[in-house]
Amino acid sequence: MSVKVAVLTGFGINCDRETAAVFEMAGAKSERIHVNRLVNGEINLQDYHIMAVPGGFSFGDHLGSGRLMGNRLRFGLREQIRQFVNDKKPIIGICNGFQVLVKMGLLPGDEDISFGQTASLTLNDSGHYEDRWVTLEFDDSSHCIWTKGLKRMRVPVRHGEGKFVTNDKKLLDKWQKNGQLVVRYVDPNQQYPSKSDEILPYPLSPNSSWRNIAGVCDPTGLVFGLMPHPEANHSTWLGATWTRENLIHGEGEGMSMFYNAVNYVKALFSIND
Amino acid sequence: MQSNIQRIEVTPRVGGGLRDVRGDTIKSQLKTDHNLEITDVRSILGYQINQELSKDQLTKVVDELFTDPVIEIGCFNSSILDNKNAFTETPEAVITVGFKPGVTDNRASAALDGFTTIFPDLGKNVKISTSISYVFFGLGDVDLNWLSDQLHNSLIEIALIADSNDCAIGDWPEIQFPELKDIEYAAPSTIDLNVSDEQLIEISEKGLLALNLEEMKAIQQNYLDTDVQARRKKLGLPPDKPTDVELECLAQSWSEHCKHKIFAAKINHIDTETGENSVIDSLFKTYIMQPALDMQQEVNWLLSLFHDNSGVIEWTPEWSLCMKAETHNSPSALDPFGGAMTGIVGVNRDILGTGLGARPIANTDVFCFGPPDYNDYLPEGLFHPSRVMRGVHAGVRAGGNESGIPTVNGAIVFDERYIGKPLVYCGTVGILPRHLPDGRESHIKTPEPGNLIYMVGGRVGSDGIHGATFSSLELTDESPSSAVQIGDPITQKKMVDMLLEARDLGYIEVITDNGAGGLSSSIGEMAELTGGANLDLSKVPLKQLGLSPWEILVSESQERMTVGVDEKNKQAFEELAKLHEVEATIVGEFTNSGTFLVNYGNDVVADLPIEYLHDGCPQLNLESEWTPPIHKSIIFKEKTSPEEMGNILQRLIARPNIASKEWWVRSYDHEVIGQSVIKPFGGVNHDAPGDAAVIAPIPGETKGTVISCGIVPRYSDIDAYAMAAASVDEAVRNAVCVGVDLSRIAGLDNFCWPDPVQSKKTPDGRFKLAQLVRANRALEDVCRAYSLPCISGKDSMKNDATLDGEKISVPPTLLFSLMGNHEDVRKAISSDFKNTGDVIYLVGETKQELGASELAYMLQEESEGVSGIGGNVPSIDPERNLSTYKVLTRAMHAGLVESAHDCSDGGLSVAIAESCFGIDAGAKIDISFLDSFDDKLDSWGALFGESLGRIVVSINPKNIQAFEEIMTAVAHQKIGVVGNSDDLVIMKNETKILTASIMKLREAWKGTLDGGQQNEC
Repeated sequence: MSVKVAVLTGFGINCDRETAAVFEMAGAKSERIHVNRLVNGEINLQDYHIMAVPGGFSFGDHLGSGRLMGNRLRFGLREQIRQFVNDKKPIIGICNGFQVLVKMGLLPGDEDISFGQTASLTLNDSGHYEDRWVTLEFDDSSHCIWTKGLKRMRVPVRHGEGKFVTNDKKLLDKWQKNGQLVVRYVDPNQQYPSKSDEILPYPLSPNSSWRNIAGVCDPTGLVFGLMPHPEANHSTWLGATWTRENLIHGEGEGMSMFYNAVNYVKALFSIND
Repeated sequence: MQSNIQRIEVTPRVGGGLRDVRGDTIKSQLKTDHNLEITDVRSILGYQINQELSKDQLTKVVDELFTDPVIEIGCFNSSILDNKNAFTETPEAVITVGFKPGVTDNRASAALDGFTTIFPDLGKNVKISTSISYVFFGLGDVDLNWLSDQLHNSLIEIALIADSNDCAIGDWPEIQFPELKDIEYAAPSTIDLNVSDEQLIEISEKGLLALNLEEMKAIQQNYLDTDVQARRKKLGLPPDKPTDVELECLAQSWSEHCKHKIFAAKINHIDTETGENSVIDSLFKTYIMQPALDMQQEVNWLLSLFHDNSGVIEWTPEWSLCMKAETHNSPSALDPFGGAMTGIVGVNRDILGTGLGARPIANTDVFCFGPPDYNDYLPEGLFHPSRVMRGVHAGVRAGGNESGIPTVNGAIVFDERYIGKPLVYCGTVGILPRHLPDGRESHIKTPEPGNLIYMVGGRVGSDGIHGATFSSLELTDESPSSAVQIGDPITQKKMVDMLLEARDLGYIEVITDNGAGGLSSSIGEMAELTGGANLDLSKVPLKQLGLSPWEILVSESQERMTVGVDEKNKQAFEELAKLHEVEATIVGEFTNSGTFLVNYGNDVVADLPIEYLHDGCPQLNLESEWTPPIHKSIIFKEKTSPEEMGNILQRLIARPNIASKEWWVRSYDHEVIGQSVIKPFGGVNHDAPGDAAVIAPIPGETKGTVISCGIVPRYSDIDAYAMAAASVDEAVRNAVCVGVDLSRIAGLDNFCWPDPVQSKKTPDGRFKLAQLVRANRALEDVCRAYSLPCISGKDSMKNDATLDGEKISVPPTLLFSLMGNHEDVRKAISSDFKNTGDVIYLVGETKQELGASELAYMLQEESEGVSGIGGNVPSIDPERNLSTYKVLTRAMHAGLVESAHDCSDGGLSVAIAESCFGIDAGAKIDISFLDSFDDKLDSWGALFGESLGRIVVSINPKNIQAFEEIMTAVAHQKIGVVGNSDDLVIMKNETKILTASIMKLREAWKGTLDGGQQNEC
């Protein structure tokens, strides 16, 4: 038996191939699955150990990023997803996938998995979509299973709506205390650890996200989402400045996140390839 | 208020860290483009739902669909401007913009989909439309009609204005629902062609057929043929006259756009300089196709040339690659956003329609615009170049990003002669498995008579009727708005996903795009493969009832593919379409009857023999005459201090043609698919320009593909031969800089010319055609020398605009795009200098070649025409260049080269400055010995001349000996060393001739095309 990953596709999701590839590189078996095959019951989500909602432009992001796909999942897969989390199986949403999980209320989420939206990802303060590399720093005290042992990571952001906000600022403190504000944008020239609540200037923070939040997890630490693209840095030769670095070529900085989830699942379900 | 229309309005919450970024962006753009100071701009998104809904239902859709509860406030059937929580103050003006009926409204389609998710049963009959309102505070004295013109395009949108008086009494603009009325069906008619020549021309012009007299007469003749008449009688068609369906179908198939009549013409070419007087039988066959076919004899990797939607090469034993570039110039002139977006999603479909279906993996885009700061006379009916640029850029951005295809390479060129028609080149690279799971080679279509013909994707509407023939005409005040369309990337993305899955399951026998000419071209062309097709137009799903048969046949409505499927796979194919929520409809079948037989229900409306349809168009006879143009010489200032020389470099590097395009390029996703090795920008601050893209399309594997381009329209002013040669060399040089495998490179030629047919409207047609002849000859000479086959190409030959009685023609422009193999992407080289102390070399020979250089144009502008652009235009020695490139490539693969950067626009000094940006430090350069290849070389020529075949490289001192050894046989000169301060110093014979600050150069370089940030809160 191997770790099986359901990578969602369809309706404008477009990072499904590389997302499937990184889980394979991390030792799992990935399947790209059209959302409708889960909704119509042709495929059962419970047959998988990990669910990934990849990046893209689901439904063109026309009514706000991730909103329509969020509704499709919220209306079509509500119980299946709740079951998945209750079975302690990890879920990741990357970029548009993160927007989907936030808009459907799964992130930052609550203990009851009630699918009530408490935060949002809104237009970047810069006013436009942008592809540029950023440095991320992780909360090493968080219980998030995806980010165990991670300190910093260089990855690209590719979005126009990545500013994390909420309408109840008290929630921010609660999430921070719970270890849910897992990953932030930082200045690579500052020594580790340097994460701060003070919004960093553009372009260190590409979107003026509150508290420099780049990604959050749910109270269980199983469901995790982030705006940047760790799957885009799966090999050293994909880095922004690799031609300036003396490095031994191989897997890229982004891979550790996927290993974390695959290894977590292996341990939990006693899977040895 | 219209009955049954529900109005919903949504506006962003502001304050407490939340902003209305859409409003802020409009404010910032009005400041950047028009220097308008406005206190505040807010935005409201409007929706109209054409359906009776209860209050509870409305509350549900407002809360769960239209409004994000965290960041937005929404309301229904009242104006949000009256909501004091949303708007505490009364605005000074409100401008509401909505679409005209029938225009693609992507936000509305998404809304309808979302609506159906919530109310699955109600969704079927609902129609939704959208609008956006801009709310102005602190506007000052601005003409609201002018402002409204800046915010909408009256060709496709309507705008309503509330001025301060209206605002004071709360009389807000209310857009009517853009109901698309059914058209009254017009049965097919016949056209009597037994008329005078004048009347034939009139029929062509009135019907926008774009056929000339000879072509009209060829059609006239066909219907006088007694065999043809007998067959038609049998079918119940009028024997001696074409139906409107037939005439329209012929006009599409024979259009310049589809048939490339100028490239196929017989040309009598005269050269007054050499005395040549010769006949060329087809530029295309002579200079493009024949060289490629000859090269195909030499290698085994050229899989498919010229006959498909794009050319295919074998890349690895498992994968092949294809590439195609198109232009979308006329539509982009009329609606920059929609025109450019349909351009990019259109060329994506060419890739999907290659072989049995290829997957697009990279886009390229090259634009030619009027100068962004143009402040001269602008004819009525034209948009300002800055607006064209914003619109085109936004269209390509949305089209590429939403489709999940990275935009990896491109260029933007500026020249005043592009204000009439911008050039919008969109290219796409695709990947195909060499073999499908069922064993078929994926680049070969396998249709059989009896295969079902499916139309897949979008529906047919009156949008996009006559696009192909329209683009074959010049732009005038009467250009039809029906030629304008807006792409729908999500409908297309769903279709791409579905069709690629169908391909791998073996369901596809043949596939092609519905682009120019619509079904008439797509089915007409594929019918050639089996020898016939039957089509029933009444089966075609429509956006709008009542379209006549000819309109259905030629409409270019977007996001459609035509697919041939074997009967046995019918059910599975349709189920797959349903799963992906893609419409797939059987509209006919392939036959071997020899004709393209078109029905509308039971009525036969067209019967066109396949051979006549494709080969019946008479060859054009054209005349061409070359006399070299005469230009004033460049006037240089005699004594120029090193600081002044530095200032000249600073002004040159800030010119739009050279300035950084980073602001624009970063808003394209260039990294989706996770394959980007050499990116558009590199260096320590990620802002030094890359030369070519390198991608590694298979995750984890290190074999790569290089994508580059070359374009230098300036040189056409002296000689289009030099222009074309330089374009090809630039594309190759760029690819060499990143380490391309020169044994496997393939190119695309995309010509954009002003009308080169001598006529009253074009008195200099013979000269323009001679330029085309010379450009083609250069293309052949250089491509043969480089073993660089053109595997696909396209031409757009009517890039003129006559407006206000004034004709503006583009300069003859060739875009050359290249894709090539990269053996190991871990050995790819970037353009940025790496370490202080690295030694800088110039590879290649420098000559005194400043004619038509970027410097020459700068001095011409600065002297208001006293200085000219004349002089030696860069000449080419492709054999010499190729041996240099090959040797340098060896040095690169041996790991001896730290950086490599192409020397092109602005010459050596610009190339060095750009490599310096990548390390954030200057350099010390000595050009004393540069004149060893040309004793006429002076400092101007050395610093700013644009001689071809040159690359600036840097070498770690420890590798110098090994580098020198490899390079012995080819021209290379040690010219300096990478510094550690901010100073760029260039010496000649122990004297400083140029000094500059890298920081200041960078500021100038980045400042010109900064599209505007709005970070202030």
